[in-house]
Amino acid sequence: MNPFQFTRVTTPKAAISAITKERGTYFLAGGTNLIDLMKREVIIPERLVDINKLPLATIEKTATGLRIGATAKNSTVADNELVKKHFPLLSQALNAGASAQLRNMATVGGNMMQRTRCPYFYDTSMPCNKRSPVQAGVDKGQANGPSGCGAIGGHNRMHAIFGASGKCIAVHPSDMCIALVALDATVNVSGPKGDRTIPFIDFHRLPGDLPQKDNTLQPGELIMWVDLPTNRFADNSHYLKVRDRASYAFALVSVGVGLDIKRNTIQDVRLAMGGVAHKPWRLTAAEEFLKGKPATEANFKQAAALAMQGAKGYGENDFKLTLAPNTIVNALKTATKTA
Amino acid sequence: MTTNTKNPPIDRIDGRMKVTGGAQYFADFELPNTAYCVIVGSEIAKGTIAGLDTKKAQGAPGVLGVFTHQNMPPIPGWDAPVGGEADGPPPRPKGEQYRILSSPKIHFDGQPIAIVVADSFERATYAASLVKATYTKQTARTDLRKHVSDGVAPRGEDGGNYSRGQADGYKTAPVTLEANYTVPIEVHNPMELHGILAHWTGASTLMIYAKTQGVNATQQAMAEAFKIDPKNIHVHTEFMGGGFGMGLRTWPQETAVVAIARKIGRPLKLVVNRSQMFTLVGHRPYTVQTINMGADQTGKLIGIAHAATAETASYEDFTEATVNMTKFLYACPNVSTRYRIVRLDRSVPIWMRGPGEATGAFALESAMDEMAHKLNLDPIEFRLRNYTETDPERNRPYSSKYLKEAYQRGAEAIGWNNRKLQPGSTREGDWLVGYGMSTGTFNAFRWEASARALLKADGSLTIQSAVTDIGPGTGTALTMIAHNVLGVPMNRIKVEYGDTSLPKAPTQGGSAIVSAVGSAVFDACTSVKNELIELALKAGGPLAGRQANELTMADGTLSVEREPGKKVAVSDLMQANKLTVIDKTKDSKGGPEHAKYSMYSFSVHFVQVRVNPLTGVVRVSKAVSVADSGRIVSPKTAASQMIGGVAGGIGMALTEEAVIDHRFGRFVNNNLGDYHVAVYADVPAIETIMIDKPDPIINPMGAKGMGEIALIGFAAAVANAVFNATGQRVRDLPITPDKLLRAV
Amino acid sequence: MDQHEQLGDELGSSDSSRRTFLKRSSALAALALTPPVAKAAVDQGLHEKVATAFEQMPLQVNINGTMRQLSIEPRVTLLDLLREQLHLTGTKKGCDHGQCGACTVHVDGTRVNACLTLAMTTEGATVTTIEGLTNGDPATAQLHPMQEAFIKHDGFQCGYCTPGQIMSAVACIREGHANSPDEVREYMSGNICRCGAYANIVDAIMDVKKGGARV
Repeated sequence: MNPFQFTRVTTPKAAISAITKERGTYFLAGGTNLIDLMKREVIIPERLVDINKLPLATIEKTATGLRIGATAKNSTVADNELVKKHFPLLSQALNAGASAQLRNMATVGGNMMQRTRCPYFYDTSMPCNKRSPVQAGVDKGQANGPSGCGAIGGHNRMHAIFGASGKCIAVHPSDMCIALVALDATVNVSGPKGDRTIPFIDFHRLPGDLPQKDNTLQPGELIMWVDLPTNRFADNSHYLKVRDRASYAFALVSVGVGLDIKRNTIQDVRLAMGGVAHKPWRLTAAEEFLKGKPATEANFKQAAALAMQGAKGYGENDFKLTLAPNTIVNALKTATKTA
Repeated sequence: MTTNTKNPPIDRIDGRMKVTGGAQYFADFELPNTAYCVIVGSEIAKGTIAGLDTKKAQGAPGVLGVFTHQNMPPIPGWDAPVGGEADGPPPRPKGEQYRILSSPKIHFDGQPIAIVVADSFERATYAASLVKATYTKQTARTDLRKHVSDGVAPRGEDGGNYSRGQADGYKTAPVTLEANYTVPIEVHNPMELHGILAHWTGASTLMIYAKTQGVNATQQAMAEAFKIDPKNIHVHTEFMGGGFGMGLRTWPQETAVVAIARKIGRPLKLVVNRSQMFTLVGHRPYTVQTINMGADQTGKLIGIAHAATAETASYEDFTEATVNMTKFLYACPNVSTRYRIVRLDRSVPIWMRGPGEATGAFALESAMDEMAHKLNLDPIEFRLRNYTETDPERNRPYSSKYLKEAYQRGAEAIGWNNRKLQPGSTREGDWLVGYGMSTGTFNAFRWEASARALLKADGSLTIQSAVTDIGPGTGTALTMIAHNVLGVPMNRIKVEYGDTSLPKAPTQGGSAIVSAVGSAVFDACTSVKNELIELALKAGGPLAGRQANELTMADGTLSVEREPGKKVAVSDLMQANKLTVIDKTKDSKGGPEHAKYSMYSFSVHFVQVRVNPLTGVVRVSKAVSVADSGRIVSPKTAASQMIGGVAGGIGMALTEEAVIDHRFGRFVNNNLGDYHVAVYADVPAIETIMIDKPDPIINPMGAKGMGEIALIGFAAAVANAVFNATGQRVRDLPITPDKLLRAV
Repeated sequence: MDQHEQLGDELGSSDSSRRTFLKRSSALAALALTPPVAKAAVDQGLHEKVATAFEQMPLQVNINGTMRQLSIEPRVTLLDLLREQLHLTGTKKGCDHGQCGACTVHVDGTRVNACLTLAMTTEGATVTTIEGLTNGDPATAQLHPMQEAFIKHDGFQCGYCTPGQIMSAVACIREGHANSPDEVREYMSGNICRCGAYANIVDAIMDVKKGGARV
């Protein structure tokens, strides 16, 4: 790793001030991805601001639901009784990610901020627009290695089938975020221009012409907490992750589902998919189709087909065009116990 | 010792050191003033270094030197053959030689282009990132599949060409099969990273802490490289954090570190990073195979033709015994085999657990399953119809073979009778269930080795041998052998190993160490025992007048077997003869009778798999592995080898593949996050069964090796079970969800 | 107060590297505006020892019951600090990227990957390594029940991943994630054993769990 300066902060204000002052400054929370990227020289910071001592690690009930602090550890959230009882989908998704050790380190905010696992992003000798953007003046300090997209025409077995661009076909790797986008979470951020609330679905973005930007955070903004609205999905939710080994691997495809079912009719449903896009992929067309319909495999299959509209393979990942709808059906069957 | 009784399970003798963190691996040794080095690897696979900027690195804090092809210190034995392997035919360079940091020419991706030395690990790592190279690139050939037609016989070898009976006899059979199988690049990836800690203790005396499977081999290699007397080179590897074959040779960067350590005049430590484990210490070569098989309607094999083509480096011919088991495993009148290599712009492979046989067994044992299906026969029944009690390749008996019993006991344990002949016919909920099995076999070697036994008057026994224990429990097995000969209680036996100051031993590999070093320990202990008996029986001795064969030794006492009370304590006997120690060193190797027999270990693997037809996910839900490897010397550690083979086999079958982007000639998954070795959740409870019947020929213990057979064949058992579950035959490893979904 | 110290205060920092250094050598204050500091110092032709002091920061951390007052570079990971500076070599480096678990230690009672933990983030924390699980000489010390169980069930071969496995296994029980073999398999999957001793380790953990010994 390069030498860098290290600062500890204890207040959000100090954190925001620190990251605004100098280019090349990064927040350090759990470090599970940042330190990894620094060791690979993908990110070469000039200063780290340690935000682990910020008072943002709490999980508390609010009038409208549950508020989870940005520096709460993934394992703490996954094992929290309120989360397990009212938002089991979130607990399941968290436990499907990484390892017990990494979940003890990783924070909610850090999980949201983690970068893609595309191998071309991590190898600084290979082309990557996310790591080395072509636009002049954009994050110049980060430009590191050749530009281009190695995954297009290369090894893209793990890559996107939705919303990719000619610049980037990487996927967002988080499991937690799939649950949060399904559960209509909102993100509260604080920055030099004040506080704002971002719907979770709008937090991450598609690559378009700016693949270097994973999310819609503005310069200097700090994730403060995530709010989860109460719901009726606790009895019928499931996170299904398909991966190359039984644990400790990123998703080929994952599906998070929560349903509110009365008398075998789907009153309401939330569906989101991971491993398929540059952001957590919400399946709104499928949700709309299922509302008011009985929970049957036939309906699940139709919903899955709707969800797949617009999907596109890039060669090695063509199998996801089959795997994704199958996984949606499987997840719905498990969540509704219609297997 | 008698081979008639089974040995009891005992705890690993080095268990305490391993569970407390007290076991010291090469990188754990603390030497004052140690400097650290980091290797900068080439970013291209073929071409020439056009420019190398090391100025920034040299100026970075703490840097002691940046070594490249322009300023690499001389290695006096540079022109001598590399290698120094103590056993077997060494993989000596036969083609264009690669010498580390000797020229601007690039032969493979990741080839060292600079070694940066600094006073701390962090500083060396950072300075290494400041070394910048430009290249004149050439088109790299890294994709075996595109160059199979370039396959050639390895220089100076017959290329595995073998034939008996009628050429292409399989064609005459009423039922025929032709199938192509692929085993991708697999990487040993022991948990311990490769490296070396080198310390010149004088102008021409050297202390090395190595990650090697053979300290004597490293000693010899360094002696040749630096033209110094091997006696002046001390190599220590008591603990090695796994090898699986990657430590079977001395790698060029080890020699470079030793040279640089001499230059800078400080102890120098190299620990490569995980990505470099994919390029600097070998791998299982990408191999494509074709099996042609013919059988008659009664299930008798008419012919097999087995052809394999594997990758090697441009600068060295690597070969392995991929096609060998096809020659002798089944009674079959017409058999031919062929082995070819393709020289690619890749780093050189090295034997990986079960080496070529594991690759070959995947093809042969998958094909046997495919043929059984064509014949509508149970796969075990098909194998039994082609069972052979003598080696059809060499027309001589096996030294011992209990494979039939292994089939039977494994089948019972897995519940083989639950298997349906018709694929895809067992379903549990959303999951399809299938059963598969396969056979494994590997040579049972007995190499030359030496060992020393020191029995002290206080009743304690020390056993010494230079052999390294890479994990199978060598020290534990040697303890058992010494105990069986001398009757010394196991807690009074100390085994010292992994150091060149001890009697010479072969490199740990080829499942041969219990047979080789164990025999030497047996002989050395027997020699001690004979001296004691002589002292007891001599005129005036306490047991004078008795015969040697009437005596037994146990718990520090020599006694007359049929006369309770007629005995002498070993300590008294030694004291009476004014002996403080009886010290015997023995060199041991197999005798001429070995030429009369074919000696192999055998294994049978059984698995039950569950396959989700919607997601293509395969889970091994049950595994039974049966070993026919002679008398089991140390049942507890032997069982651990077998379950380890299952875990490795699950990885080989379902998850492991090192993937190259051939546009760049570089790996895209050269880390443990993306190269998937099996984790806990992939591995079910495992039943291991030991036939545990002694081989009367191979050695005095009757023991044959089991490290390789624990893996060989396992991947085929999984592929066969997946077929039984789904009706889908996957011939290209690993069997990942995408392959099953594509096949739908 | 000069502008750099003011900045430090605004950042809410009590011990930024900049301030520490300024106390040592105010003559270098101007340089501090140009990070990375060490590189800058060298570019300016400053003596290497000055650069070293500039790079280092104080760290106070309890390791295996001993309070340590250290001075380290911020880029030093907990793993490299333990192994290379404190010579606690029981904790192993297997991948250096959080992908194998060989470096598992406890920080304030929870298991983490020491390779991805910057040592600076353990300020004021309690770190327990494999050496801290027993007290005293590894050859004679009273073993922890999990260590005993690993020996009994032969939960290893080469032994390299073992310290990480044991630290993880102890935490697995403490966390309440060892209620069945399947749960253990899931919650231990962050510890890779290439020798493949998984089945035996699961037996060892279930044995300790069922035995009810305090871990």
